Amino acid sequence: MKFSVSSSDLLKQLQIVSGAIGSNPVLPILEDFLFTIEGNQLNIAATDLETSITTAVEVQSSGNTSIAIPAKILMDTLKALPQQPITFSINEDNFAIKITSAYGQYKLAGENGSDFPQIPTADDVHTIVVPAPVLAQAINKTLFATSNDELRPAMTGVYFQVANNTLTCVATDAHKLVRFAYDDIADTPDATFIVPKKALNLLKGALPPGDEVTISYNRSNAFFTFGDVNMVCRLIDARYPDYNAVIPADNPNTMTVNRSDFQSSMKRIAIYANKTTNQVILKITENSLTVSAQDLDFSNEATEQLMCTYEGDPLTIGFNAKFLIEMLNVLETDEVKMELSTATRAGILLPSENNESEEILMLVMPVMLSN
Amino acid sequence: MEKHRKIIHVDMDAFYASVEQRDNPDLRGKPVVVGGIKRGVVASASYEARQFGVRSAMPSSLALRKCPNLIFVPSRFDAYRAASQQIRAVFFEYTDLVEPLSLDEAYLDVTVNKQQLKSAIFIAQKIRKEIFERTQLTASAGVSINKFIAKVASDINKPNGMKVILPHEINDFLEKLAIEKFHGIGKVTAQKMHQLGVKNGRDLKQLSEIELLTRFGKAGRFYYDIVRGIDNRSVNPNRIRKSIGVERTYNEDLVDLEEMEKKVETLAENLFKHIEKNQRSGRTLTLKIKYGNFETATRSRTVPADLLTYDAIFSLAKALLYENMEENLRVRLLGLTISNLKEEREEASNHQLKIPFPSATNTSSLKKS
Repeated sequence: MKFSVSSSDLLKQLQIVSGAIGSNPVLPILEDFLFTIEGNQLNIAATDLETSITTAVEVQSSGNTSIAIPAKILMDTLKALPQQPITFSINEDNFAIKITSAYGQYKLAGENGSDFPQIPTADDVHTIVVPAPVLAQAINKTLFATSNDELRPAMTGVYFQVANNTLTCVATDAHKLVRFAYDDIADTPDATFIVPKKALNLLKGALPPGDEVTISYNRSNAFFTFGDVNMVCRLIDARYPDYNAVIPADNPNTMTVNRSDFQSSMKRIAIYANKTTNQVILKITENSLTVSAQDLDFSNEATEQLMCTYEGDPLTIGFNAKFLIEMLNVLETDEVKMELSTATRAGILLPSENNESEEILMLVMPVMLSN
Repeated sequence: MEKHRKIIHVDMDAFYASVEQRDNPDLRGKPVVVGGIKRGVVASASYEARQFGVRSAMPSSLALRKCPNLIFVPSRFDAYRAASQQIRAVFFEYTDLVEPLSLDEAYLDVTVNKQQLKSAIFIAQKIRKEIFERTQLTASAGVSINKFIAKVASDINKPNGMKVILPHEINDFLEKLAIEKFHGIGKVTAQKMHQLGVKNGRDLKQLSEIELLTRFGKAGRFYYDIVRGIDNRSVNPNRIRKSIGVERTYNEDLVDLEEMEKKVETLAENLFKHIEKNQRSGRTLTLKIKYGNFETATRSRTVPADLLTYDAIFSLAKALLYENMEENLRVRLLGLTISNLKEEREEASNHQLKIPFPSATNTSSLKKS
């Protein structure tokens, strides 16, 4: 059978799907795309058995079939072709593939589509609908705070919590924590699930600028659907730490400071900090924030002073500059608020105001001051 | 005026041998060493034995040649540990800043002390007296403003004596000190120093920091500082083990590589047991080889991830053996040590506080509320 398709339309879809292909596949067929043609629709799938992406593109087809096509050689071919219609001829007996372009012919060996692993289907799911930009925010603002510690699998993903018309996304690596909440989803039964980092990274790259994303989930998988794209990922089966219990509600000392001034200062001072702790010291008194760091091993030290608004007792507290810089990076407001207690208790970082229906809170643990 | 720290280095006199002489009156006044007579080394030598030139770490065979009437006593670590406990209890009556270096040696920082005593000299005297009353063992002490000088000082009036080096005496003391006496300068370094014409502290001071760094690496900076009386290392009560090692002296010298491999295999097994027991892991493995002529060589390699399995340790140890073993050499001792321990690497980052998540059982109860 044969089908024809625009080379650039196809490449665009393949680029989304190819993200699911692992770097070291356990089966050779996992290096392939699964092409399934039904009528004039080509469905494309790729998987690493944990995360799968499917999408569809319109084609002119002479029949239905299913075949696995080596992903790399196909993508390389399409990338090297200027936009034009191309024709795939598929030998359904030996799975040989011939691609015809305006310039000539390219032959490659495919595999039987029925050997391709089953992509999980959305059975027994609950569903919520979230605007794509909101989901993009939720991912961007939490993903950096996840852990790489394979010994604590729960923390290597982002915790999704559905309750009271609100989707809450939480990430932590036990040093810092981010909680992002969006309170405008339809009424849905309460649910919680942990989505692995890889899936969210792929999603981040594939989300459309507008539009809505349907998130469906059951006990084992989550499904993210927008346009023709459907991403399935196996959920992390672990208990998420009780994050609410560790967020202090009434830190008595509040500092408000210009976000970009604070961040720029932190970036300069961090150059002088000890390279293992990245410790910077914030000394906060009424209306003045002194940021300093020193590295005794090299006799390096630096100090800067910033204006701030501060309500509370004078406080000296140490933080890992890298954490603060990352956290300030995902906030967008001109001013940010830090709510602090003592030099050994969690600090809270907040934007001066939230977008409508959104709320973000970040928590960071201090670095102990010596002496 | 700058305020000086008050550091005491307490060092028991011929500790293991003295415990043996205390517990067995027949041994008193006689040349005694703790250690194996056959192919062992001297772990501790009584002062009577030292008169014959017997020293600790000396091969037993050599010790016996120096002193044919030498009495060898097998070690009784339980007894030494018990005595060590008693001694440490004395230290803790004065300060919590006690850094034990081994069973018989410790640094104390008594700048601030539990008995509000101003004089470190007086404290050192009291500690030595207390130790003797409780254990019938004698200790020597060095008193000064940092660890390095205190340690050197404790050796000066040994046994059963003490030496105080006051701040204004330090310069003179260090300038006159023979280079071999500088703690941290071993035989090899001392030899190198001699080749440079450095015989004492005064000579050492003539060398610039750059020169010392190029010749001795990182240690060069340490030498540069200590000869100027600078040693800012604090007395660290929580000093953690920096390495875990096993070694074995063989009854007969090993000559065959295959045989050595078998011994290395056993060492790797033992090392792995220690690592498992202590729940430690490290990235650097060192193979120590002592040849028939008592020359010692060490070869080490660092890998990018912790050596967590017996297989990883053994295959690396084997590689170190085959890559470094020269033909036709007799081997008397083999040792394996793992260092660059995870805990040590993490020590620096430990100051980063962790979010105090409730434990799993608490989580469920909180959820209900």
